[in-house]
Amino acid sequence: MALIEIEELEVVFGSGGRSVHALRGVSFTVEEGESFGIVGESGSGKSTVLRAACGLAPVTGGRILIDGVPVTSPRDPAFYRRVQMVFQDPYASLHPRHTIDRVLSEPLAIHGFDRREARVEQALVEVGLGKGFRFRYPHQLSGGQRQRVAIARALILEPKVILLDEPTSALDASIQAEVLNLLDRLRAERGLTYVLVSHDLAVVSHMCERLMVMQNGAVVEQLTRQALRDHATTEDYTRNLLTASEGFTRDPALQT
Amino acid sequence: MSPLLSVENLRIAFPSRQGPVEVVRGVSFELGRERLGIVGESGSGKSQTGRAILGLTPVTGKATADRLEFDGIDLRNATPARWRSLRGARMSMVMQDPKFSLNPVMTIGKQLMEAVKLHGGQSEARDKSIAMLEAVQIRDPDRVMAAYPHELSGGMGQRAMIAMMLVTEPDLLIADEPTSALDVTVQIEVLRILDRLVSERGMGLIFISHDLELVSTFCDRVLVMYAGQVVEELDAAKMSEARHPYTRGLLGCLPKINGDVRPLPVLARDAAWLE
Repeated sequence: MALIEIEELEVVFGSGGRSVHALRGVSFTVEEGESFGIVGESGSGKSTVLRAACGLAPVTGGRILIDGVPVTSPRDPAFYRRVQMVFQDPYASLHPRHTIDRVLSEPLAIHGFDRREARVEQALVEVGLGKGFRFRYPHQLSGGQRQRVAIARALILEPKVILLDEPTSALDASIQAEVLNLLDRLRAERGLTYVLVSHDLAVVSHMCERLMVMQNGAVVEQLTRQALRDHATTEDYTRNLLTASEGFTRDPALQT
Repeated sequence: MSPLLSVENLRIAFPSRQGPVEVVRGVSFELGRERLGIVGESGSGKSQTGRAILGLTPVTGKATADRLEFDGIDLRNATPARWRSLRGARMSMVMQDPKFSLNPVMTIGKQLMEAVKLHGGQSEARDKSIAMLEAVQIRDPDRVMAAYPHELSGGMGQRAMIAMMLVTEPDLLIADEPTSALDVTVQIEVLRILDRLVSERGMGLIFISHDLELVSTFCDRVLVMYAGQVVEELDAAKMSEARHPYTRGLLGCLPKINGDVRPLPVLARDAAWLE
């Protein structure tokens, strides 16, 4: 049985004439320990899939099952101990007036974990920051360090699944490599399951064994990493995305 | 042919509590009618370099240079009136995000025509603007002329801004991350438009970006900046022959669709690069 099953997921924002149909029957499954990628352009609904899965977007149709059990709405605390999310912009997703210690302790207090101090320190060490960062504020950290704190915050409840919404798109290329390596190592060490959303095909190809391409709130196709590398796609949209990712090609008519 | 723009030993400093901090430290280059890329990470001084050429260094900062010449005109001690006669008319700049760089309470048409009128051309302003919108491949120019910036998508907004910057037919265009806010497929379309306009009109283009791969496929020549200095100058086609460890590190740390290097090589910064 798959760890995450999403069946015919529909999300509609607003109502009446001004409603936006953000997801139109999205279905996919993710096995335990797998890393699954979602790619698409802005507005394709790729982030909405993650937000709907963890209860941040209104689900108007379809089902979300974790371990074969449909999730409740609102989600119960047990759900958040299994599934956590890392957001895109580390400049916006950490409270500017809370210390790192407070950011990391809050989920522990909510879920009644013991040994909070030790857990906070351990989480900081695991993401490569060290205990010295505990009493700093987000504005004292660089973008890459903030994203590490965001990952530590997601890891501190010891979840099985991490939903990653463009975890590196706000970072410089060299910092992106460090964060991707960190995510890779944590997955191997803890047997985590990832669902990673990105607009960058190269990042998804590096991180994920399987991926799905989305456009206008619907799934265009699902393919494996190998199929992506072999350009073995059946859809023109995916092919265009692949060509565009390879950089600029000069119009042959203009070549001098 | 004398170069369109020559910059020698450009330095930009901002005051701080610990005394002035130099963010650009002795940048020199020459530009002909070609596509020059400037690449670097955030904080490398690439955008400030572009802004200084247009005299747009923030008032708190101080830009100095041994030479800053555009088409034989010394820009170092240019008066505000001189700047106004050059900026927009002969050199202009495309900014990163159309959402923040277009006037939100003016229609695109009004903003475009303002640019034409300011630089002479009262009567044909409307025709010129529509022709320009067509040149950037906007299919329905009349609708876009009447639209406000929030009514356009990112790609359309960016095209409208490019149209605005090119309608006066400048000799030098500085594009500061013109496609970073756009999707990959739209990005390529916008670049194609820029490319065509540059080769048809013989403009000089300075393309500022953090994306080394994109720049190497689009530009003729690339300057790599690190901590306010140019560490390497390369032919775009010979990117693989880059010698500076910073350039090589930047190229190496990008994940590739076909590569399977695990873990990704990480850039090890060397204090010697700051020298």
